Amino acid sequence: MNWVDSGRWVFSSVLNHRSRSLLTALGMAIGIASVTLLTAIGEGVQQYVLDSFSQFGARIIAINPGLKETHGSGGLLSSVRPLTLRDAQALKQLTGVEKVVPVVQGSGVVEFINRQRSGIILGVGPDMSDAWGFKVAQGHFFSGNLEDARSTAVLGHTMKKELFGETSPLGQHIRVGGQRFRVIGTIEKKGQMLGFDMDDTIYIPAQNGLQLFNRESLMEINVVFSANTSLRSIEKRIKQIMIDRHGREDVTLTTQNDMLESMGKILSILKLSVGALGAISLLVGAVGILAIMTTTVRERTAEVGLLRAIGADKKTILSLFLGEAIVLALLGGIFGLFLLLMLTGLLQLFLPGLPVTFNLFFLSLALFMSAAIGLVAGVFPAGQAANLDPIKALHEE
Amino acid sequence: MLWPDIVGFITHVLSRHRFRTIVLWVAIAIGVVAVNLLTALGEGAKSFVLKEFNVLGRNTLIVLPGKKETTGGMPPITGESPRPLTLKDAASVSRLSSVKAVAPIVVGNLEASYAGKIREVLTVGSSRDFFTIRQLNVAQGQMLPALDLDKSEAVCVIGNKLRQELFKNQSALGQWIRLADTRFRVIGVLKQGGTSFGFDMDDVIIIPVANAQSLFNVDGLFRLFTEVRIYQELDNVKRAIVELLKERHEGEEDITVISQDAMLSSVQEILDTLTIAVAGIASISMIVAGILIMNMMMITVSQRVKEIGLLKALGATSSTVRVLFLCEAGLIASMASVSGLLLSYLVILLANMYFSDIQFYSPWWAQCGSILLAVLFALLFSWLPAQRASTLSPVEALQGKQQKEMT
Repeated sequence: MNWVDSGRWVFSSVLNHRSRSLLTALGMAIGIASVTLLTAIGEGVQQYVLDSFSQFGARIIAINPGLKETHGSGGLLSSVRPLTLRDAQALKQLTGVEKVVPVVQGSGVVEFINRQRSGIILGVGPDMSDAWGFKVAQGHFFSGNLEDARSTAVLGHTMKKELFGETSPLGQHIRVGGQRFRVIGTIEKKGQMLGFDMDDTIYIPAQNGLQLFNRESLMEINVVFSANTSLRSIEKRIKQIMIDRHGREDVTLTTQNDMLESMGKILSILKLSVGALGAISLLVGAVGILAIMTTTVRERTAEVGLLRAIGADKKTILSLFLGEAIVLALLGGIFGLFLLLMLTGLLQLFLPGLPVTFNLFFLSLALFMSAAIGLVAGVFPAGQAANLDPIKALHEE
Repeated sequence: MLWPDIVGFITHVLSRHRFRTIVLWVAIAIGVVAVNLLTALGEGAKSFVLKEFNVLGRNTLIVLPGKKETTGGMPPITGESPRPLTLKDAASVSRLSSVKAVAPIVVGNLEASYAGKIREVLTVGSSRDFFTIRQLNVAQGQMLPALDLDKSEAVCVIGNKLRQELFKNQSALGQWIRLADTRFRVIGVLKQGGTSFGFDMDDVIIIPVANAQSLFNVDGLFRLFTEVRIYQELDNVKRAIVELLKERHEGEEDITVISQDAMLSSVQEILDTLTIAVAGIASISMIVAGILIMNMMMITVSQRVKEIGLLKALGATSSTVRVLFLCEAGLIASMASVSGLLLSYLVILLANMYFSDIQFYSPWWAQCGSILLAVLFALLFSWLPAQRASTLSPVEALQGKQQKEMT
C-alpha cells in the first residue's frame, strides 16, 4: 500500500464512524483544551507577577541591615548597628550608582482640617519616583538632598481622594502623625504591590520619617546602578563601602535577579502542576482512544483478514491502525484548540482581569502532544490487529 | 422485568464484555481518584499551614502599633507608628480583668559572643508570659524570671541551635554570653522547636523586655501578645483593648488588634478556594469519562440490536429497555467510583504514614461529590444511547436492521 492509499483508508474509516470519531475526538479535545488553558493562565500569572516585580527596574539592589536573612524582615527589626542616611549618602557618591532610595516605613494618621485617614507612611528620598517608576500625577516630587527634612509630603492616589476629594491638595498643609507637612505632589494610581496598598500611602522625606517613628535605622536602602556597570562589581563596591563605614560586613544585599530567580522558580512549579492537573482529563481521553480503537479492531477483524490475504504485511496493518489512532487524537487536538479559543473569549468577557498568555510554542506542543497520545493509546489495539491470524480473521463474522 | 432480573441481566452483560467494562471502570475511577487525592492534598496543606500558624493558641490577641484604613490587605506589620506602643500600655492592658497574660515583644538582630565565638542571632525581649503564650518549653534550666515589665535583669534563655554553636557539648547554664556590650547569664535552654512565623526559635536568645529596650535604644514595642482568659470573651476583650489604648493615646485609635482566628481565616479562605478550584479542574476528567461512556454505549446499542429486538418481542416496553441501558451505565459508574474511593483511601493512608507531620484527608464533600458526579455524568451521557435503544422497532431490530446508521 502506498501513502496515498493508506491515507485514504485511514480517513474513510474515521469518516465512516462519524459519531463515534466525533465523540472520541471531543473527549481528547476537552483534555487538550484544559491543559492548554490552564498552562496559559499559569503563564499569564507568572508574567504578571514578574512584570510587577520588574517595574522597579532590573538594575536595583536592596540593602537591608543585619547579615542574617530573616525572610526579608531584617529591616523591620531593631538593630544595634543601624543603616543610616549617612550610609545612603555615601552610597550615592559611589561610581556607577545612579539613584539611592532610603526607605523607612510605618503607619499613622494623616489629617487635613477635619478629615482623617490612617495609612502607610513611607519615608523615602528624592530619587524614589524615578527609581521605582512611580509617576507624579500633580505637582512634583521631593528635590534636594536625601538627608534633608523638609516637611513636605507627596500623597498616594487613595490618600489624596480621601482627604481632598476633587480639590487640589497642592500647597495645603496636612498633619502626619501630629507634625505639619506641606503637600507638594500626588502620585498616580499604582494598586496593590505585594500586599501593600501603594495608593493609601503618604510619602515623606526619609529624615522626617526617622524623626516621626523615632528610629535611628532605615529599613532598607535601594540602589539603582548605571547600565554600564556590572552587577558583580557594584555589589563588591557596595559591600566594601559598607564594611569601611561599619567596620564589618553587617548588611544583606538582595539583587533584582535574586528575587526574580526565586519567584520564577516557584511560579514555574506552579505552572507545571496546574498543567498536570489538566493532564488528568487528557489521560481519560487517552483511555477513550484506546477503548474505541480496540472496539474498532474487533469489529473489523474480517477486514483485517482480507487485507492480509491480499498481501498486506503486519507492518502495514500496524501503521494503518496507528494512523487512525493518531488522526483521531489530532482531530481532538484541533477541536481542543477551537474549544480553547471559545473558552478564552468567555473568560475575557467575564473575568477580564485574569491574565492569560498564549505561547505559540505551547499551542504547537499541545498538537504534538495529542498526536503522541494517539500513538501511545493506539499501540495496543494496532498490535492486536497486526497479530491476527489472517485465516481465522477471514472466517470471522 | 423485575429488579433482580435487571441486575442479573446487566451483570451478565458486563461480565461478557469484560474489556469494555474495564475501560469504562478505569476511566471513571481516574476521575474519582483525582478529585479525592487532590482535595486531600489541599486539605493536608491547609491543616499544615494552620498548624504552623497556630503556635499562639486561640485565646491570643496580637496588638500592633499603627493602623490602616484599607481593609483586606496586610495588617501594618512593620510595627512603626508615630506614637509607640509602650511598656506602660502593656501594663495597663494586663490589668484588664479578662486578660490572663501579656507578653510585650521587642525583636532585633544582635551579635552574641562567647569565648571568642560570635554568632548573629535573633534577640527577643519579652516576659515570662511569653513562654506560656508561645508554648515554649525549656529543656534545661528555667524560663525568664517573673519580673515587673520595666525591671531589667541580665539573664537570658537561648535556643538549642545557638547553644550548640556557642557551647558545643559544654553545659551552657550559668555561663555569661555577651550581647552587644552587655553580659547576660544563661539560665535556660529551649527545647528543640522549629520555625514558625518565619522565626527560627532554635536560633534565638530571649532576654527581659526592659533589657532589650535599652540594648536597642527603643521605647516602643514591636508587638504585644495578649492571652484572654475565656475564648468567648475574645471580641469583648479586643474592643476593650482598643478602647483602653485609645484613651491612653489621647483619643487617637492608632493600634491594630488582630486575633489568631482573624489572621487564619483569610489564609483558610484562600486555601479553601484553591482546593475547590483544584477539585473542579479534576472533575473535568469526569466529563471526558462521560463522553467515553456515551461513545461506548452507542457502540453497544448498535452491536446488540438483535438482542434488543428479542427483548421487545418478548414484551419488554420501551421504558424497560431504557432502564436497562441506563442502569448498566449507572452500575459501572457506581462500582468504579466506589473502587476509586477505596483506592484513594489507600493512597492517603500510605501518604499519611510516609509524611507523618502532614495530615491528609479527603473531606466528605469531595467523597460524596465525586461519586455523585460520576454517577450523574454516567446517567446523563448514557441517556441518548439508551433512548435510541428504546425506540428501536422490534420487528426491524430482530432482523438486525437499524433505522439509521448510527455507529
